[in-house]
Amino acid sequence: MNALRRDLSVAIAIARKDALSELRGRQAAGSTIFFAAIVLLLFGFALGPDSRRLAEAAPGLLWLAIVFGGLLTMARLHQLEADDGAFEQLALYPVDRRAIYAGKALAGAAAMLVLGGLLLPVVAILYAIPVGAAWLPLLAAVVLGAIGFAAIGTAYAGLTVRMRAREVMLPLLMLPIVAPLLLAAVKATVAALGGDPLGELGSWLQLLVAFDVIMLVVGAGTYGFLLED
Amino acid sequence: MPQTTIYVAPRLAGTLGTIPPAVATVELARLFGRSAALAGISLTVEMGRTVALLGPNGAGKTTLLRILATAIRPSYGSLSIDGIDALADPELVRGRAVYLSHATAHYDDLTAEENPRFAATMFGWGAAEGLPVVREALATVDLEAVAAQRVRTFSAGMRKRLALARILVARPSLLLLDEPHASLDGEGMALVDRLIGLWKDAGVTIVVASHQAERVASLADATVRLESGLVAEVGGAGVSTAPVGASPRPRAAVAMVDR
Amino acid sequence: MKTRILGFVALFAVIGAAINGLFVVPADLNQGDAQRVMYVHVASAWLAYASFGVTAIAGLVYLIRRDVRLDALALAGAEVGVMFTAFAIWGGMMWGRPVWGVYWQWEDPRLTTTALLLALYVGYLLLRRLTDDPARRAGRAAVVGLIAAVDIPIVHFSVIWWRGLHQGPTIGDPSKILNPSAPLQFVLALLAMLAAFTLVWVYLLIRRYQLARLEWQLEDEARRGRVAAARQVAVPSGVEEPAG
Repeated sequence: MNALRRDLSVAIAIARKDALSELRGRQAAGSTIFFAAIVLLLFGFALGPDSRRLAEAAPGLLWLAIVFGGLLTMARLHQLEADDGAFEQLALYPVDRRAIYAGKALAGAAAMLVLGGLLLPVVAILYAIPVGAAWLPLLAAVVLGAIGFAAIGTAYAGLTVRMRAREVMLPLLMLPIVAPLLLAAVKATVAALGGDPLGELGSWLQLLVAFDVIMLVVGAGTYGFLLED
Repeated sequence: MPQTTIYVAPRLAGTLGTIPPAVATVELARLFGRSAALAGISLTVEMGRTVALLGPNGAGKTTLLRILATAIRPSYGSLSIDGIDALADPELVRGRAVYLSHATAHYDDLTAEENPRFAATMFGWGAAEGLPVVREALATVDLEAVAAQRVRTFSAGMRKRLALARILVARPSLLLLDEPHASLDGEGMALVDRLIGLWKDAGVTIVVASHQAERVASLADATVRLESGLVAEVGGAGVSTAPVGASPRPRAAVAMVDR
Repeated sequence: MKTRILGFVALFAVIGAAINGLFVVPADLNQGDAQRVMYVHVASAWLAYASFGVTAIAGLVYLIRRDVRLDALALAGAEVGVMFTAFAIWGGMMWGRPVWGVYWQWEDPRLTTTALLLALYVGYLLLRRLTDDPARRAGRAAVVGLIAAVDIPIVHFSVIWWRGLHQGPTIGDPSKILNPSAPLQFVLALLAMLAAFTLVWVYLLIRRYQLARLEWQLEDEARRGRVAAARQVAVPSGVEEPAG
């Protein structure tokens, strides 16, 4: 049990450090959220001005904006390690790699949650979606989506942070992987907003949980190999 | 002079009761793309020795230190640290081999105290017991006054001092210092010399790479001069280029001789 | 030598199965001759997924054992897999045009899953291409191959559920051929093509694997050569070299 407590304190220390960096380097985190909001705005120009069509498309557009903003977020969380050569130092501490992964994934999930949470009202306003009524299942979808995205994002950001062409490699690797996450999250959102007429909300949320669990396990198992270089 | 406590890793028993060398490498080579940064280094360093690693830019000093720290793997060759096969069991070496790189590896948005506190947790200090250790380290490197300032605002010299503070909260048996005097003024350099002396007294094996040949040579037991990725010259006590009994069989780092 | 024999056997098998599928077996009542594409499309798709399995498992074992031959196998699986995947998609599109009237049908779960499979493979191969150091390349590729393989079942289920509430395409359901009540001749023709394709697949895998091993050896020799050359340059000052 002592080893478990140690791993836990390592993970929390890392998550805390990342959270502090995010909060204090406020410009970067804020800019990403702003970027995602602008993307939502631009979708309006691309698909509008028929508000009914936009309202139908809104759940998809919301999650696309979360994904695009998420790519920037996950990249940034590893970039803060790469900036001063801290990543190499991080890999040299006598700690279990899975604890490092857990800490970074936790920080990533929190950042994604903030992103998703802040985009909900933006979507509600821009596309006239009744977000308030279905807030609980919507929140569940956002939380599960955030965890899943961070689970795979942490692994792939760790992989690409020292690569050539990293700006394109991270999206290139991540987007196909998160296709099912995107699909399920959008379906869950649609179901939640529509009052779940077909009773499918539960299934979609379950799929999200399955995605999250699988990606967390695989991510934790492989992160160590990505730190060795 | 502020009090400075040096923490050291516990000694490991060597095979057959002998003390293993702190560092034993056989034909260590490392390629980056087309160029060979190291072309075959065989080196043995006795435990407790202080070795000055000298040589011009591009000689391979940094690459050698990074490999010894297990930060990167060699392309070919084998390596043991304190008798542990560093390629097979790098996780056993971590924490014992502590590396001060040329990059200071700080988190810019964290303060001068938060950075080493994070390192302390990672090095295994509990939250409560680590705090006084960190504070003492900050006092030693004369950064107490700016403990609550973010590293983003620091000068190069201050960043270097903070990196030294991080090393002070570690518990090494082998210290790998890459240009520890760089970015420091006269006072800073004297601090580094003092610390090296303290580590030496505590029995820590030290490998210091530096441009300041005379400065480190006077602190060291032995010197190793590198040129173009090879050992050009070895002098002094406790270091040799011939493999000693306790080193492992040579084998390729990337497994596979074709069967 | 044995591989060469396999190659010829595979070639003849494919020709035989193709003749069977094109001329011997009658055309489908609803879909007409277009249905014949299914024989190669389904076979390609199955082997595309099998290739992926090879890449993923070889990568996983590589991470455990660090045997470079496993990395060669993983690479072979990925390249052969890309080929079969592209072929499967092309076959699907060629079938889709006459039967559905369109090249692409979002409601067909297999088509979308296979397209995603292609994207994953391409990412894998690009990653390999962008990493110079052989050890790093093998490690990173193994992780990506594994994660991608684990993702595929999730994708599969999600797109099936996705389609679930929409009516499937009424004419020309591609899964018709897999239906147990399909005419025996069709099933046999499919199995024959599958067997033939599998022989081709094994042959290609073996050849690509051999090639990958050779490539690795060449790369390794070149690297060792560079190290040796670097030694020649600087040796002089009479430093004693350890033997071996």
